[in-house]
Amino acid sequence: MGARSVTGRTPGQPSAQPSKQPASWQLAPPHDKQTQGIVVSGFGDLPSAQALFLMCDWPDEPAAAGPARKGAWLQALTMVAPITDSDGKDDRAASIAFTWTGLKKSGLDPNALASFSAPFREGMYQEDRLRRLGDRIKDKWQGTVIKDGPQWSGNTPVKDDRPPVAMRLPGGKTVPARRPQRQVTTPLTVHALLLLYHQDADKVQDWANEVAAALAPHNVKIVHRLPLDLHLDKAKNVAREHFGFADGLSQPIPFDAGDGGEEGTVVVDGKPAPRDPWHGVPLGEILLGHTNAHAEKSPGPLVLNDTDPSDRRERDLKPEGAPEGFLNLGLNGSYVVVRELRQYVGKFWKSLEDNAQRIRAHDPTATYVTADWLAERLVGRSLDGDMLCPAGMRPAGPGNLPDNAFGYIADDRYGQGCPMGSHVRRADPRDGLAKDHPAATQTLLDAANNHRILRRGRKFGALPKDRYEEDGEERGLLFICLNADIARQFEFVQQTWILNPNFATLYDETDPLVGPEGRFTIGEQPLRRIVEVETFIQSAGGEYFFLPSLPALKYLASL
Amino acid sequence: MRQTILSVVLDVEPQSAKLLAQFIEDFKAAQEPPGAKEWYSEIKERVPLLHFMSMSVFENPAFDPIFVVEANFDGPPGPFWAQMEAAFDVKLRAMLRCCKRPEDGDGPMYDAVTKRCSRYPLAPYFEERTFRPSVFHQGNRGLGRDRILNERELFLATRRALAQPIPTAPNPYRGITAGQIHQKLRAELLAKFPWLAMEAPARISWLERADDLGRLLGFVFVVLLCLSIPGMALAPLMPAHWFLVGALVGAGIVVRLWQKRAALPGEGVRTRSGGLTIARMSAGNKVILGVALVAVLVLHVIIASSIGFVGLWITGWTVHDAACLAAKVVGLGVVSIVIFTAPAVVLWLRLLERSDPSQDAPPIDEHLLGEMARREDWIPQNHMGSVILVKPGILRMALFRAGHHGLGLVLRVVATDGYLGSMRTVHFAHWAFVNNASRLMFFSNFDLSWESYLDDFIEKAHGGLTLAWGSGVGFPPARFLVLDGASHGRKFKAWARHSMAVSRFWYSAYRDLTVDQIERNTRIADGLRKQTLSEQEAATWARDL
Repeated sequence: MGARSVTGRTPGQPSAQPSKQPASWQLAPPHDKQTQGIVVSGFGDLPSAQALFLMCDWPDEPAAAGPARKGAWLQALTMVAPITDSDGKDDRAASIAFTWTGLKKSGLDPNALASFSAPFREGMYQEDRLRRLGDRIKDKWQGTVIKDGPQWSGNTPVKDDRPPVAMRLPGGKTVPARRPQRQVTTPLTVHALLLLYHQDADKVQDWANEVAAALAPHNVKIVHRLPLDLHLDKAKNVAREHFGFADGLSQPIPFDAGDGGEEGTVVVDGKPAPRDPWHGVPLGEILLGHTNAHAEKSPGPLVLNDTDPSDRRERDLKPEGAPEGFLNLGLNGSYVVVRELRQYVGKFWKSLEDNAQRIRAHDPTATYVTADWLAERLVGRSLDGDMLCPAGMRPAGPGNLPDNAFGYIADDRYGQGCPMGSHVRRADPRDGLAKDHPAATQTLLDAANNHRILRRGRKFGALPKDRYEEDGEERGLLFICLNADIARQFEFVQQTWILNPNFATLYDETDPLVGPEGRFTIGEQPLRRIVEVETFIQSAGGEYFFLPSLPALKYLASL
Repeated sequence: MRQTILSVVLDVEPQSAKLLAQFIEDFKAAQEPPGAKEWYSEIKERVPLLHFMSMSVFENPAFDPIFVVEANFDGPPGPFWAQMEAAFDVKLRAMLRCCKRPEDGDGPMYDAVTKRCSRYPLAPYFEERTFRPSVFHQGNRGLGRDRILNERELFLATRRALAQPIPTAPNPYRGITAGQIHQKLRAELLAKFPWLAMEAPARISWLERADDLGRLLGFVFVVLLCLSIPGMALAPLMPAHWFLVGALVGAGIVVRLWQKRAALPGEGVRTRSGGLTIARMSAGNKVILGVALVAVLVLHVIIASSIGFVGLWITGWTVHDAACLAAKVVGLGVVSIVIFTAPAVVLWLRLLERSDPSQDAPPIDEHLLGEMARREDWIPQNHMGSVILVKPGILRMALFRAGHHGLGLVLRVVATDGYLGSMRTVHFAHWAFVNNASRLMFFSNFDLSWESYLDDFIEKAHGGLTLAWGSGVGFPPARFLVLDGASHGRKFKAWARHSMAVSRFWYSAYRDLTVDQIERNTRIADGLRKQTLSEQEAATWARDL
């Protein structure tokens, strides 16, 4: 590695030594058997997958119209597709998560439903939340959503039971009738998301057919389905998203933050995991019921502890971590944010090619500005995943992977290597936000690590044949991320960093990939360049899900 | 140019509370005419001194509703109220009529102002009912409203000039050095912005700085004097070596304190950054703090002794005796602070803190939350107003009042660039004690959402926030006034959200500008005001374009 030039890897050269990947973190017993496998692994060994969006097709009223035991379908499902735990590699894997409406349909009682966090209870498509997430303002869907609005969501009902009456006041004045909250609905309702992972596409399809057959007698339908294939780039051993960029390179690394008694929940090579200086987050940021960044156990949903002995429902839920009289439904579970993002590859590359030509015409000295050069600046990394910096690219890190142990203040304070508004810099600013206060590096880094998300998404759709051609095929990324506090983590990143037009002293530009059309500033000496970007990604649906632990899943199946 | 931050607090006649709320809503609706190109243009033109203003009604089961007008403007209050009166006389009078007649000496003025068809000036009444803040902070100190708006226009003009009308022809601003860019841009914009030829007005004058520093030193002097009263009272009555007894007692107190220093189980929050403790300061700052402390103590001894000496000498003591007694009293007073008074106060505080109730689950009114969420996150700025009950007790009141006052003065001296620690998202914020200090108000005009704003405080300035807000009933457990407290992030946010009310009317004179953007505009404008820049200066300046 010492002989490597400062501009990073020589393209096209195979690595000189076999890459020794840094060991990844695991959960220690008993949590490893209780937590779903998707928390500790993206199942990189299982390159084929499918996302099945399930809907329970029975009415809420009258109760007799639904099945006698509302959770029975889950029992049938887990027989055909046993949900994977976190205790090691398997040759196939499954993961399941539920929306609030899905939990309601499956018979979870109203007190338990009310104990979930507010974003999950209200659903992603609540009127004010949509404004903060940049999807919809008042009655209009924004340009970052597909035409005619998104196709699927949990269709969480609005809870506004006060009658909107007008009120008379003295002096002939009236208080006008309060406008009730807008109910935003999508054509498809999703109650649960089932992810199946296997070694190849045929095996996954057979498995999915088995699942469909098992669910049919229970009136549970698959209303939407997305094939998710890694399509590993074997030459560079890296997974790319559809624009061509290596993806999934930077993840938070959990550690135990509890005082005493909790050491050893997160282990690396059998020993308690140390706190990673750049990416360390307390385990409670990802898993409910463990200590989080605010030094408390991250709160999760609760279930009444009625220990009626005549009730023969299986009870693996524990009262630990829950107040007196309750069982801890959320322990070792998490919240999952899922958004189906459609990517327009041809539009992306064509727009950048046009921009590059315009810039070269505008500035004859800028011969280095090409579509690739611009694309790397938009993302913040090279196509192979190396981080941009003022000297070119950062040299590779351990295991011959792109270096991820760095901050921005040390050598890129003003965004002249990796632009201030680039996607990776917006998604995780590390220590780079208060550039006037380089002494505050540690504070800024800790602050940024308070808002990390664990990404587990995969791309869907066929690989494009010609990246400059828009062929009309549906392709994109099924964005999936895990976090224990949706408002402080996912929504914060989306609202305060990604879609913030004033991020890091920029003025009126948002994320060039995920945001609507606008401008994008590339910092340069002596004068910055401003590029016009269009809308390259649109959302086709989304919702907040609850990822239950395996004991919690057993409880739900017994309802 | 100096900005003023204040709130006017009026008790509302309970039966008229709904009518008052409707008046405020109507006031807001009149400023947001449907189909207009720009909102709030009337208030922008007719009250040009105003930066931010809000009107809210706070309800509480233990108090009658209060109507609060929060205003942040240029210059002293007189001209501002004159402009408000000229623009909104009738509407303001209607709102005043919904408020109670004050029981104190302002009753006749209230009658005169609210009589039907009265033309009595409003400004004196508003000035009488004004509450001055105990702590206040400003993000862009010294920038007047018109200057902010002008520099915004300049920024947009620089963008247009640099982009050039024909984007495919060679751009004259490319291929040249930063210094040349500066020259070209200045030449192009001078015609449209003639004020670029003039020097930038000073943001904070020397007089203002001296005044702030003087107040801080005066405050420290008074605190030292008060703390040394027990020692000074005993000093003339006993020989100096009896003070060793006090030292022993003090040592005992320190031992007890050491035993109680840790948080109760489950209430501690270890943080690596963002606090207000000495350990967090840089080495340079620690040295400065140490030197300043010693200097202040020495000054205190000299000044207090001189005053004592003069007092004794006038009443007939000889020069020598007066000087000795004055020096002994003051010196022993200072010593007593260190060996007894300060540890005793801290121990007393710690014992109180350990038994303070903190509210884990403030009652949530989902409808009120919905009302607030509906009005938030439309522009890059937001507003929050909150009223909390204050913890009772002699020590609490003394510490909080003194702590607030001190914090306010320290911020005035130290936070002149708008940064609170490492965050700069506050345009105008202030705390004020109301209702005979039984309640504490907080108002803030800030950038981005209230969640990210409180997250900013929790992560980057939780020490100062705990000091300022720790006086609230139900605040999460704090230690030694500045530790833990706001670091209990989720509990703190729930507590803060529960104390907020709907900001019925809220006005911002520059709705699309963040604090950072205003500073950026000012840096660009200051650079363009200069006729030439060195290459180094020009490179730094061009980074902001």
